[in-house]
Amino acid sequence: MTAVQPQTDLITLTIDGFEVTVPKGTLVIRAAEQLGIQIPRFCDHPLLSPVGACRQCLVDIEINGRAFPKPQASCTIPVENGMVVKTQLTSEVAHKAQEGVMEFLLVNHPLDCPVCDKGGECPLQNQAMTSGRGESRFEGKKRTFEKPINISSQVLLDRERCILCARCTRFSKEIAGDPFIDMGERGALQQVAIYEKDPFDSYFSGNTVQICPVGALTGSAYRFRSRPFDLVSTPSVCEHCASGCSLRTDVRRNKTLRRLAGNDPEVNEEWNCDKGRWAFQYTMVKDRIATPLIRENGVLREASWPEAIAVAANGLQGKKAGVLVGGRATVEDSYAYAKFARATLGTNDIDFRSRPHSDEERDFLAAHVVGSKVRYSDIDTADHVVLVGFEPEEESPIVFLRIRKQVRKRALSVTAISPWQTRGFKKLQAKYIGVAPGAEGNALAQLSLTNQSVIVVGERLCESAGGLSAVAELARKSGAKIAWVPRRAGERGALEAGAIGNLLPGGRPISDAAARVDVAAAWSIESDSIPTSAGSDSKAIFAAAARGEIKALVIGGVDPFDMHAPDFAGLESAFVLSLELRPSAITERADVVLPVAAVTEKSGSFMSWEGRTRSFEQAVPETPHQSDLYILSLIAEALGKPLGFSTVRGAAKEFGTLANWDGARASFTSHPVANAAQGVTLASWRQLLDNGSLQVNEPNLAGTARKAVARINAQLAAKLGVANGDLVTISTDHGALSLNVELSDLVDDVVWLPRNAVASQSLRMLGVLNGAQVNIRKGL
Amino acid sequence: MSELEPKRAIDGAAEESIHIPIAGPASLFTQLKGFWVTFAAQFKKVTTVQYPEVKEPTAPRFHGRHQLNRHPDGLEKCIGCELCAWACPADAIYVEGADNSDEQRYSPGERYGKVYQINYLRCIFCGLCIEACPTRALTMTNEYELADDSRKKLIFEKEDLLAPLRSGMLQPPHPYYPGTDDQDYYHGRVTEAHPSQEQK
Amino acid sequence: MASAPKTFDENFLSRLDAIIARYPRSRSAIMPMLHLVQAREGYVTAEGIEVIAQKLDLTTAEVNAVASFYTQYRRTPAGEYHVGVCTNTLCAIMGGDAIFSGLKDHLGIENNERTADGKVSLEHIECNAACDYAPVVMVNWEFFDNQTVESAKTLVDDLRAGKKPAPTRGPNSVPTFKEASEVLAGFNDGRANEGIQAGDPTLLGLKIAKGERK
Repeated sequence: MTAVQPQTDLITLTIDGFEVTVPKGTLVIRAAEQLGIQIPRFCDHPLLSPVGACRQCLVDIEINGRAFPKPQASCTIPVENGMVVKTQLTSEVAHKAQEGVMEFLLVNHPLDCPVCDKGGECPLQNQAMTSGRGESRFEGKKRTFEKPINISSQVLLDRERCILCARCTRFSKEIAGDPFIDMGERGALQQVAIYEKDPFDSYFSGNTVQICPVGALTGSAYRFRSRPFDLVSTPSVCEHCASGCSLRTDVRRNKTLRRLAGNDPEVNEEWNCDKGRWAFQYTMVKDRIATPLIRENGVLREASWPEAIAVAANGLQGKKAGVLVGGRATVEDSYAYAKFARATLGTNDIDFRSRPHSDEERDFLAAHVVGSKVRYSDIDTADHVVLVGFEPEEESPIVFLRIRKQVRKRALSVTAISPWQTRGFKKLQAKYIGVAPGAEGNALAQLSLTNQSVIVVGERLCESAGGLSAVAELARKSGAKIAWVPRRAGERGALEAGAIGNLLPGGRPISDAAARVDVAAAWSIESDSIPTSAGSDSKAIFAAAARGEIKALVIGGVDPFDMHAPDFAGLESAFVLSLELRPSAITERADVVLPVAAVTEKSGSFMSWEGRTRSFEQAVPETPHQSDLYILSLIAEALGKPLGFSTVRGAAKEFGTLANWDGARASFTSHPVANAAQGVTLASWRQLLDNGSLQVNEPNLAGTARKAVARINAQLAAKLGVANGDLVTISTDHGALSLNVELSDLVDDVVWLPRNAVASQSLRMLGVLNGAQVNIRKGL
Repeated sequence: MSELEPKRAIDGAAEESIHIPIAGPASLFTQLKGFWVTFAAQFKKVTTVQYPEVKEPTAPRFHGRHQLNRHPDGLEKCIGCELCAWACPADAIYVEGADNSDEQRYSPGERYGKVYQINYLRCIFCGLCIEACPTRALTMTNEYELADDSRKKLIFEKEDLLAPLRSGMLQPPHPYYPGTDDQDYYHGRVTEAHPSQEQK
Repeated sequence: MASAPKTFDENFLSRLDAIIARYPRSRSAIMPMLHLVQAREGYVTAEGIEVIAQKLDLTTAEVNAVASFYTQYRRTPAGEYHVGVCTNTLCAIMGGDAIFSGLKDHLGIENNERTADGKVSLEHIECNAACDYAPVVMVNWEFFDNQTVESAKTLVDDLRAGKKPAPTRGPNSVPTFKEASEVLAGFNDGRANEGIQAGDPTLLGLKIAKGERK
């Protein structure tokens, strides 16, 4: 526990007769809030720079006996000693000024409340009631615009309603670094405008919809769907990336209608990304599996739960099994899978990594990630942040915003090691070290850091042999902190819960006998029933199933095409139990399919990349679906080796008793950096908005995804004889794909492709990882 | 003490009983007086209304079944704003709004009521919804014969509540009257349908 | 962001760079660069906005915001001679309103439109601080003082006929719209000292004060 720093620069002032003491630099409007005095405002926002655009927060101010000649905007005035502020509560001038400003704001504001989505939760409505006059004296004609217009496929702009507070333009420019909207024209015609050819395709555009104080910016997905009083709101946690954003899920009649960003100053402040905001339709698609399914005569047929559980238990009974959890399970579900594998199936063959992985990564996670307590606040105080194998804007947008905040605030120095100098890196003003994929380890070895530095490592660094070892070595040498940021919300939780072959819950290494005894005792099972050697990883489990060594597979939310060269032979031969939401490549080959609850349909928790547990309650009240852990508990019961819990609370409680292992962590042996491949190599990663399965059925969101292009630099373009926009074909022994070229800031002889765009599923179509050699030619 | 003994109402009260006058049989005249009232009533005018053979007209502003009104050319007045649902103290109204487009237009303006239901088992006929409606789409008719025998039948849908098409009105969806916009409708300047509005 | 469109040649691009080089903060160059685009295209084109955005490392929305703020940045082509009639208070009552409506009728165009032959465009403009010469007409921002409805009609006829009348105070002949825009972009055409600088009505007060006039 660090001691609370005593504040030295404190200012005392009087507001409405009450004295208040606040730190220097506090704005008058904030100081008033500390006293519980709410000065009406529109453009002011605690996270945005003050601009004094709306003029609603006018108050009477006096300093040292001298009054300001006119009422002042309290959102732009920092406090001073001896300041005497009178708000609308005690000053007739301030009150009249505020009423006057409100009247002006309403002059051109259309009478749209009945058709406006903001009605019912509108600061303009509310403040017009509290701080406005009953009647307007305006008798002219209001200025009109064509309305609404799409400034992107998911954000609608109604220029008549806009009160020109500039919250949206300030957010886009300052916080997101995407000034694709700006104030155009002037006077009564002033309006928020895009450049028509460049729509508002920012990953953070949804935040402008949330902070707009009127109904000028609205989301096209939520348009006209509901009113605030229809909605039941539940605080929740985002299930997409590992940032751990706090959200609020609004449900009407059992359907999720929207998700707003929640307020969590330590994690996401008041922001989230567009994927977290709008990609929730997947829970409500028509092809949700409704009943258990059993394969009979080669075809899946509906079955009752008792029958399906019995068939599943029968299929798993006495067989050597493997468990694939997937990266999206909640902490409690992951813990259930981990216990199910050991206590019920008696195996360590369990892995949550349904994406490219390596042994080096598994050792690295066990030694350097599990149990680590690196937090967002470490970025706040870091002297240097290194990004390696990680593009924050695409893979963890809130980490991006956090780093960017420090870059703007105090010129935090950022280094990005990457084959492509993305716009995201430029927005962070990162020092760019261009390396071919695979050579990141060499670049890391050159860096000099301190123990205040943070190395942010993405999950794809595991595709560069030796990369993670170099991170570990750099951290050991300098004392820098390692922040491992996976792409999926469930991965850190699954790691801590032991849903991986070399770890038991709480970070206990499998190799540690005392740890095995400890867990066995907690689980009331024989201590020698936990296998002593580490289990197989996902790849090896599939391979073993193909060879017939593993005869049964328990698979959660896994898309085999997310993995490198998925081996389907094992799925055909082994007994496959699938716990899934919708039909998938796994259910097509499964013997038993059991439908599970989506995150809105159950309570649970996720761990952010920091290891911070974020709990949420069930948002959709009526659902037939159950959580993965409940279903596993039924099967475990049928197999005669019960899990010992069947509820989320029960699992959380039991996991809580095992969570703190103060024994030694696993050790880590370095791997050398591999030699670079010859010729042209592939760089590829997932972008935020792409063909991901949780983004289905939301065309508005998909419309703002980055265009799928093949990126090469001028050097490679010259070699190939291609110009910007030409078609190129990239091929390997496995397959080929063709895309248009966009010249970008890449290193020589590297082609970058999106990993999972509709036109470019590089992993699936080419079958190779980052750093692999590829053939590239002009044309088809 | 034995239970047969009378209990004292007040401890220590006087032994003698308190005399409580009980009305005995009334005089003959008083009894006959009552019968006269009944007899005379046979010859007085009866206020019973012989419903359903006779149906007294209701007052002009009677709170009866709701109606969703139309503009003179047939477009619905309801804009799906949900203010009536908000005002309803009995939570009897369910509304879902939806977008109008130029090709599929149900009401003037951007929004119309796609789903509109009133549950007459919840409705208390208070009329707060009518007061809330900003476009005068929702009014109450004088119809009160709503009794039915199942819950389902007493949830009236939009088609049950929409005012019937009068002559000169066209069934939506159809475009605006040529050369007009929503403001013209709200100001009452559109008084009839134009043949070009008919959507095939 | 798109790369520099092919419509601009190296010479033009290097002139844009020359403008940027004048300023310590590159963003300050937006306005003269927009004038240079107008000098070349006759109005601010989409390619112009895009090349400026690319050169200044701004988004097209930001450049567009500046371009849309000022009426001097046109979004439709100006005529070779852009005729501005001042209709602010003094000029208006001194005849400016009449001149403007007279020219609209005479040319058959509305405010901010261009004649079919592309020679003349018309706009009502704001005060140019020549109130002592009211009513003021400007052609490509050069002064044509003390106009009447008839003289204004003659003026535009002359312009359409290809004559190059001299401004009352300014260079010896009126420049074209593109030439004037280039000056506004900061490229000196060397004509700043041609013609009279201050006319009699402006100097009247000074002369009276000096005793040279009563």
